[in-house]
Amino acid sequence: MRSWQMPDGGWRPSAGVSNSCWATSLCVSLHCINGVFDQPWERGVRWLLASRGVEGGWLERLLALVYKMPVEYDRRWKGWPWLPDTASWIEPTSHSLLALKKAMVKYDRGSIGRRVDEAERMVIDRRSRDGGWNYGNRRVLDEDLPSYPETTAVALLGLQGSQGIQIDPAIELAFRQWEATESRLAKAWLAITLQNYGRALPVEQPSETTSDVMLTALEAIATPGGGHQWLKPA
Amino acid sequence: MAETCLARTETQSRRRFLPLSIAASGLGCSSQAAPSGPEGNSAVFAASAASYGIELEGLIQSGFEACGLNVRGKKVLLKPNLVEFDANTAINTHVAVLAAVLEVCRRQGALRVRIGEGPGHRRDTMHLAEQAQYRSSIERFEELFVDLNRDDVQPVSGFAGRERFFLPQTALDADLILSIAKMKTHHWAGATLSMKNLFGLVPGAVYGWPKNILHHIGIPRSIVELNRTFPKTFAVVDGIVGMQGNGPIQGTPISSGVLVMGGDVVAVDATCCRIMGIDPARIRYLQDAAILGHWAGERIEQRGERPEKLRKPFALIEQFHHARLA
Repeated sequence: MRSWQMPDGGWRPSAGVSNSCWATSLCVSLHCINGVFDQPWERGVRWLLASRGVEGGWLERLLALVYKMPVEYDRRWKGWPWLPDTASWIEPTSHSLLALKKAMVKYDRGSIGRRVDEAERMVIDRRSRDGGWNYGNRRVLDEDLPSYPETTAVALLGLQGSQGIQIDPAIELAFRQWEATESRLAKAWLAITLQNYGRALPVEQPSETTSDVMLTALEAIATPGGGHQWLKPA
Repeated sequence: MAETCLARTETQSRRRFLPLSIAASGLGCSSQAAPSGPEGNSAVFAASAASYGIELEGLIQSGFEACGLNVRGKKVLLKPNLVEFDANTAINTHVAVLAAVLEVCRRQGALRVRIGEGPGHRRDTMHLAEQAQYRSSIERFEELFVDLNRDDVQPVSGFAGRERFFLPQTALDADLILSIAKMKTHHWAGATLSMKNLFGLVPGAVYGWPKNILHHIGIPRSIVELNRTFPKTFAVVDGIVGMQGNGPIQGTPISSGVLVMGGDVVAVDATCCRIMGIDPARIRYLQDAAILGHWAGERIEQRGERPEKLRKPFALIEQFHHARLA
């Protein structure tokens, strides 16, 4: 993983790709989890601090004064994009929030704090009417879009410690989604999140094995004592 | 504070939506002049299909033959449209159509058949496949299926003027892609058919969910670029039950009762538009795709049944009322 860091301080998502992207947030968090706060880690933090979504530019804000925009959101707040020069979305923003909150142990709180505050506002603004989150559009062409369980879980991970939201109803929704979903991926993310918010979950029988490494890892982390606390802020 | 919020909402509701042409410009849509298309005419097969319970394999075999497709010895990638699941509507390619195409490919002697998709919104692709009954209805689905969002990737050059654009190895390795799309309206593009279905080839692990880079490049331009990059594509459009209104996710089902097929994806999509009561001359991506195929009716040889007889006008959102076929 360390060898995949790019000269600009960010990380690429795979060996074959040559640009920094959202994977940087995961790599910064992994450094924090392992207690590695060296120069590559710091360059990663700086890359995150310099990265933001491109939505909400002056032309878009001007048009929003005259027209009703097809996609409704508060154009003041920016999170993180999946890759540079695109718009902010819930998952990369939430992973970046978590990474920066973990980085606060060793990094200047002032600069991180302002960025965290703005991104938290973006996440809260993009919340669906049902109380959860989807990929990041809550209302398009006058229609409310529903939340997804997996993105609700990831958004709540990013919002850990936030003062800007009444967290209890969101946790209740996440719990109901955890009970209802048949998606193993969603269930794993939700179990991690709910435990991080102090919600005890019944121990479930292991699912059938899968060749999906990401899913296996998340399910392992989601088990009681499996490491869900790694995804808590500092 | 509450009054202020209410007043703002009322003001917004009186305002008209930003015209999509302006929105599209803001998103970086291209405005290239449409060049003349390839030589010759294009064959498109259309046939009525009342339900998913009918014998679909024979119909698909007829479509392949009518359009001169033979997959013998080819490495084939079946690309259904699997986006979201909502039991109350018709978002995804129906499993009966996918299974029938798979069987016909096997019967014709394809060297290898894979099924691949990279959904644009949801991350748990296998769960989506479960909900859409792909896993339960297609034997050994897990062995056939590749999640294109997380496949190995290779760069291609020149995609929308970019030096490198990453696409899944499975798609690049295929001799032929069968774009098995759903017949749907689309709130940005007007219609989503076999050509836009290739958005699912763009890997989410590199470009994210939704595949926002394609919106920044411009939806029409991205559709054209993907189809230019994968020229060996044959279209099968599932219009047995389509989606009308606010597609591609939140529209309502419509029993349009048709299957449309062909090797010229532009001609197939234009024919689908005519069946849906949409003027293909008003669909930007089809105009921009004129270099790849034929959208004009006089350049399309209709095989099977006449599109006029199969016409079933789809409800269109206000922003696309201008595209209603006269």
